Amino acid sequence: MGMKVKAKLKNGVVHVKALAKHEMSTYNMMEKKTGNRDDANFITHISATVNGETVWDASTSQFLSKNPIFKFAFKGIGAKGDKVEMHWVDRKGKTGKGKGKIK
Amino acid sequence: MKRREFLNLTMGALALAVVPASVKAEDYRKSKPTVWSAHTVDDALKALYGTSTIIESGVKVKAPKVASNGGAVPVDFSADMPIKSIAVFQDANPESAVVVYEATKYSVNKYSIKIKMAKSGTITVAALGQDGKVYGARVTLDVALGGCEG
Repeated sequence: MGMKVKAKLKNGVVHVKALAKHEMSTYNMMEKKTGNRDDANFITHISATVNGETVWDASTSQFLSKNPIFKFAFKGIGAKGDKVEMHWVDRKGKTGKGKGKIK
Repeated sequence: MKRREFLNLTMGALALAVVPASVKAEDYRKSKPTVWSAHTVDDALKALYGTSTIIESGVKVKAPKVASNGGAVPVDFSADMPIKSIAVFQDANPESAVVVYEATKYSVNKYSIKIKMAKSGTITVAALGQDGKVYGARVTLDVALGGCEG
């Protein structure tokens, strides 16, 4: 499961827009669908690193939209051509990743 | 035994003191599990920051007055002061917590996400300042079409 990551350096600040492909199903949604609340699955933790340093870190719940889009920014690290690498893990332990070059 | 207990305590304290905060970010789902099961914003805030009182200054939150699709309500939020973390809550779903971001030394504290809201309600953004105080802001909106079974 991939992620799309776009990063742009502007006036010393790197702006990132990232999309994680994920169902983000809630407990109530799955209770209606399968009768089992435990079928709910959503990203629980997602982070971004540049050159091995964490620049952004999020603990998340089922109330992010489906295929959630994250926008954030950072400074003090990352030059044009460096990569923003992102990783997520969901409630069932599955992981996803993606990266984008800073433009 | 006394001596061993003493050693254990000392080693524990040392380990805590040695871990640099910036290297490994906190997973708030593991460290503060009750934040995520809380059914009200006040309870979630208490579980995360120890208080439900927020200083309404320095934090901004923006959302449309009327959201046509409750499955993806755009929320922009930011903090002006140096912060340790920032979190988004709402009162339209069975549980309140949406995200907790841990600020890093590189953070520019300006964010956007899209969230689910089952019905009209209020979004609360709260941030823990590096001064230890809890700042925040709220925005109330109408949701035309409830987000898929929040």
